[in-house]
Amino acid sequence: MDDAALPKTFSGLKLKQLIACHECDLLLRKPSASAGQRVECPRCGYELYTHRTQVIRRSMALVIAALLLYIPANFLPIMHLNLLGQATKDTVWTGVIGLYNSGMQSVAVVVFLCSMAVPLLKLLIQFAVLLSIRLDIGRSYGLLLYRIYHHMREWGMLEVYLMGILVAIVKLVDLAELSIGLGLVCFIALLLVQVWLEVTMSPHQIWEALSGEDEYEGD
Amino acid sequence: MRAIDAGLMICHECHQLNPIQAESAKQFCTRCGGQLHARQPNSLARTWALLLTAAVLYIPANVLPIMTVNSLGKGQSDTIMSGVIELVNYGMLPIAAVVFIASILVPTFKLVGITLLLYSVQRHQPMSARQRVLMYRFIEWIGRWSMLDIFVIAILVAVVNFGSLASIVPGYGAMAFASVVVLTMLAALTFDPRLIWDNTDSDDHHE
Repeated sequence: MDDAALPKTFSGLKLKQLIACHECDLLLRKPSASAGQRVECPRCGYELYTHRTQVIRRSMALVIAALLLYIPANFLPIMHLNLLGQATKDTVWTGVIGLYNSGMQSVAVVVFLCSMAVPLLKLLIQFAVLLSIRLDIGRSYGLLLYRIYHHMREWGMLEVYLMGILVAIVKLVDLAELSIGLGLVCFIALLLVQVWLEVTMSPHQIWEALSGEDEYEGD
Repeated sequence: MRAIDAGLMICHECHQLNPIQAESAKQFCTRCGGQLHARQPNSLARTWALLLTAAVLYIPANVLPIMTVNSLGKGQSDTIMSGVIELVNYGMLPIAAVVFIASILVPTFKLVGITLLLYSVQRHQPMSARQRVLMYRFIEWIGRWSMLDIFVIAILVAVVNFGSLASIVPGYGAMAFASVVVLTMLAALTFDPRLIWDNTDSDDHHE
């Protein structure tokens, strides 16, 4: 690293014209991105940002759809099991309760957080943030909430839970009479909408809109 | 050039650039209000601590039964590995492979991988920055999939609940395994990937 090159390269540029890679700390001149374009760090390949159109409007539609799907996905039966005339059903919620009652409270709490609480909180925060941008109220709370959101991202595990459902079905299908419930359909729909929402709601545009730095385009 | 060399700090939370103020002890982001650090404080020590705890719990997670199947008075205990073997015996090879990867390969790979990352950052050796960053991203991305077995247990305990006819009870192995997964995920989050690049001199081409 040659320190003499430091002022020459970046002097005269304002902070707004610069961007640093979040993952490797490389400093760059901010590239201008047109709609739908993806900007990557030239050193480590980390995605710096993607510029999308109609972010607020599209995210709002998706977040409302996801919230509507949340209740049926978690409380309608995912599967019914029938063994010698006795029938049981499984929902995401009964899974948590079952673990809790069998003496594994700590594991039940982890499952509850990863499969129910965090996904719901994430959706509620996204909804609140979008509302705050849309109606232009409480942006400081929006910033705080959106920070919390970024810490929860890792811990929502709907897609892993879906794989768990598949493994459980395979394990049970030979042992007893098994039928799929409406809950599974809603769960898959919730998962798809949530992934789509995550792709649509590009963070750097939300941050800029929240802080009022930049008029969000296309909305 | 690194942002830190230009007197700038990037916010962990919203990725905004902030000029470093030398005189203030604590500094907060001008955009989102999050606390700023040029590098995450004590990243290596914290990651080591979480990693070692996970490594200790890794043993009971694999040795103790994760669940017991009670059927008509007989009880059969399953560890993680015996669950995979049982799936193979049923002829469910693809599902057995998925469970094997998620519950055995991934946790082991994470423990070894994070150790290698920490070691190579501290010793400035032996992998290239590109290899290390690929490994870091892979570990960060795949970590959550280890929760698979825990979710399977939750579903089985709820649905196989026929009283004395058949029931499934979770074992202490499940608790240890869940702890390993959570701890290794925390270890990956505490590790600051920018440390990987701090000791390499390959960044001159990008200025």
